[in-house]
Amino acid sequence: MVSVFAAGKYVSWGVVSISLTNLLVIIGMIVVFVLALVIPFPHDRDQSSDGGDA
Amino acid sequence: MSSAPSATGGGSWTAGLRDRMSRTVPEGQLLPDRQPAYVASWIYVFGVLTLAGLVVVVGSGIVLAMGGATWWHTSSLGHYVNSVHLWSTELFFACMVIHLWGKFWMAAWRGRRGLTWVTGVVAFVASIGTAFTGYLTQSNFDSQWISGEAKDGINSIGIGSWFNVLNPAQMLMWHIVLLPLAVGAITVLHVVMVRRRGVVPPLGDEASS
Repeated sequence: MVSVFAAGKYVSWGVVSISLTNLLVIIGMIVVFVLALVIPFPHDRDQSSDGGDA
Repeated sequence: MSSAPSATGGGSWTAGLRDRMSRTVPEGQLLPDRQPAYVASWIYVFGVLTLAGLVVVVGSGIVLAMGGATWWHTSSLGHYVNSVHLWSTELFFACMVIHLWGKFWMAAWRGRRGLTWVTGVVAFVASIGTAFTGYLTQSNFDSQWISGEAKDGINSIGIGSWFNVLNPAQMLMWHIVLLPLAVGAITVLHVVMVRRRGVVPPLGDEASS
């Protein structure tokens, strides 16, 4: 059972203090950003030869 | 018999508006069905995901507005719609920030796209203001605590007398009327600028734009 009145967990590093939840969200966004750069985008088979330039 | 409309419009306001629109966004670019090859990357998806998130945010916000400010406290349906509003806002911001990262690292202001970049920045700032006033309209102890913390910051920049974060009714109006209108208008302008200048090409490939 999680108490809604409990204080959240915080990560502190010098003057920087951030809630663990917010830190995980930011890390997740960075992971999604990197995956968006490296995962190949699906192509239509008939457009793969000419690059589909407009 | 009426004569065929002239290409120049003959000075009527409708023709003038049509000419202005066609000069703002080149013909065929408003809703193109093909894009340059470099657009085939997942990083280009986050702009339209942000738009999709905004549609859900506004849609769920309209339903919440019909139920009233305290509806979500007393109705399970209201609570569900409020949760949709919250989580679509979270996804809206996450997608917008990833979109921002992608555009920043590809220097998306190149090729006379400065106004596209600036309208995106303004849309981001206006969205933050809209979200913050949303925190103040929850009508619970959370919004009460946040407004108590926010008042000192707002007063320190000298605008507390007309932007009173301790006034829930005023913050509700900013959240559901004024700021959404601003975000909607700047978003339309941003999309028009994207369609006008096209998607920015990769660095070192400016000739293909």
